[in-house]
Amino acid sequence: MIPLVAAMPTSQLVLRALVLLGPVVALLATGPAGHWPPWWAVVAVLGLAGAFAAMPDSPVGAGLLLVVLVWWTIALGDDIQPAAMVAAAALLVAHLAAQVASYGPATQPVAVATLRLWGLRAVVLLATVPATWAAARLLRGQPEPAGVWILATTAAVAATVAATVTLGDRREA
Amino acid sequence: MTPAPSNRVLTATSHWRPTAALGRALVVGSIALAVALVVGDPSLVVIAAPFVLLVALSLVHRPTREPRLDSHLDHVVLHEGQGTTARLAMADVDDVEFVTRVAGRPPYVALRPSGGYVGRLLAEGVPDVEISPRRWGRRFLGEEYVALYTPWAGFRYGPIALGGQQVRVLPVTAPYDSRAEVPQPLGLVGAHRSRRPGSGTELAGIRSFQAGDRLRRINWRVSLRTGALHVVTTRAEEDTGVLLVVDALADHGSSGGIDGAASSLDLTVRAAAAIAEHHVRTGDRVALRVVGRGGEQVGYGAGARHLRMIQDRLATIQVGEVAEGAGADDGVLRLGVTGGAVVIVMSPMLAESIGTVAATLTRRGVTVLVIDTLPPDARPPGLDGVDPGLVDLAWRMRRIERSVVLDRLAMLGCPVVAWRGPGTVDDVMRRLARRAQQPRVVVR
Repeated sequence: MIPLVAAMPTSQLVLRALVLLGPVVALLATGPAGHWPPWWAVVAVLGLAGAFAAMPDSPVGAGLLLVVLVWWTIALGDDIQPAAMVAAAALLVAHLAAQVASYGPATQPVAVATLRLWGLRAVVLLATVPATWAAARLLRGQPEPAGVWILATTAAVAATVAATVTLGDRREA
Repeated sequence: MTPAPSNRVLTATSHWRPTAALGRALVVGSIALAVALVVGDPSLVVIAAPFVLLVALSLVHRPTREPRLDSHLDHVVLHEGQGTTARLAMADVDDVEFVTRVAGRPPYVALRPSGGYVGRLLAEGVPDVEISPRRWGRRFLGEEYVALYTPWAGFRYGPIALGGQQVRVLPVTAPYDSRAEVPQPLGLVGAHRSRRPGSGTELAGIRSFQAGDRLRRINWRVSLRTGALHVVTTRAEEDTGVLLVVDALADHGSSGGIDGAASSLDLTVRAAAAIAEHHVRTGDRVALRVVGRGGEQVGYGAGARHLRMIQDRLATIQVGEVAEGAGADDGVLRLGVTGGAVVIVMSPMLAESIGTVAATLTRRGVTVLVIDTLPPDARPPGLDGVDPGLVDLAWRMRRIERSVVLDRLAMLGCPVVAWRGPGTVDDVMRRLARRAQQPRVVVR
């Protein structure tokens, strides 16, 4: 493991450091709102984040991000805090860093042009975070429009079917 | 360097598959939204929003065409230390944004980028991998894995394995030149001074004019002084036959390629290539006989094509004992030495058969020169289950026996020199040439 880390180029090390730190920052982001995670949760997330950084192309990453989501559900409930934006940014950066790191083997350097492109994309994606947060704040406490749950459920089912069709036929091809 | 044929067909295929990142974003985004709806937690919607957008953008760039890939090398014949480029040919790549190439790392091959890993946005051009074999031989180069990604990295094509090509890596021709005469020039037309008179350029003497002498040979200064016609006589210039005997029975020492330590076979092959090139350039006829498992041989010949043939055979040498009955008669090698040929044996002189054949040829009056190619720091490989002290003792005894063989060869009149590159054989060849002028007793 140590020789592999020593053989990694700087770009890979930076990306994997982001993968390691992103979920931990997202977990700790509930702290300023008075909900500090227990130490064992931090250790567990740190361990999973280490595995995710070592294997950015593995399913460990999805499990790790879900663990953080679970903590956010438990910690804040229906409260909406500005820290949610920090968590969203941290998780997205970790996800994108893992994506770019998994373009090739761990010892493959990542070109500056590639990093620049994904940096721009990250900015575009992160632009949705404050917008969503502001919308959530504005709509908070408003009465639910009639049929919103039916509409949301229908949209979710349609999105699931579309994703299944899109991904499923590729696997069978 | 010989270029590779260019009319290759794009054959390698695979299928587009969703990446782990798309699956991760899909799982996180969908579950976060679902939980947010169920438990009414707006924070999860904020966290899920960029992931949902990422999934949507990845699906928008879903690929529709299957790309076709192939890779090829620019050259299929190289010398040690030379380099070639492995190029990736791609077709139907409208859906591709990023290309990753991971080249195989066969032994004795240097790659650039280091490690053979390269990834680049396709908009910047297809990345190339430079390959440089560092040791002679037949090598399989250019084998690699290639993966393609769509924009937003939602789908990946491959990685697929692209086959490499067999490349003949010829031994490097060390800068070698010799001004020494060969001992027994006995051919037709060449560059070596012969013992018999002829129409050469080397002055043999001045004698009285005889009927049949060419008028342009008359030396007018001597003729006027003596009052009788005198002509200049010259020595003929002839080529010679050079038989290169390469000992490939075993490879002693470790090889680090052209940049590192040289094994006995490295020294042998490079010395043979250098001497062959020198003699071919001076117009001599050169033959090659490899004593080893492959039994490679090349008959006498001259010219650039013949030199290439010798280099090709040297690059495909197979190390090992001679097969029973192949080129050996009761343990005595048959080399097919012709009259007037100079035999140059390149060997670490650890095989009894090589010493025997050198001694036999020397006794028969053939001019034999042994080039010792055993590296000074050669050590036997460690054997499992064998006491290292015992191995060292056996190696020392073998070297003592070897030194006895070399001394006996020297006593017989067969010079033995260690290969030191340019100038190794100059002095020895001059002595052999002088000795060839003198009468001697040979065993028939």
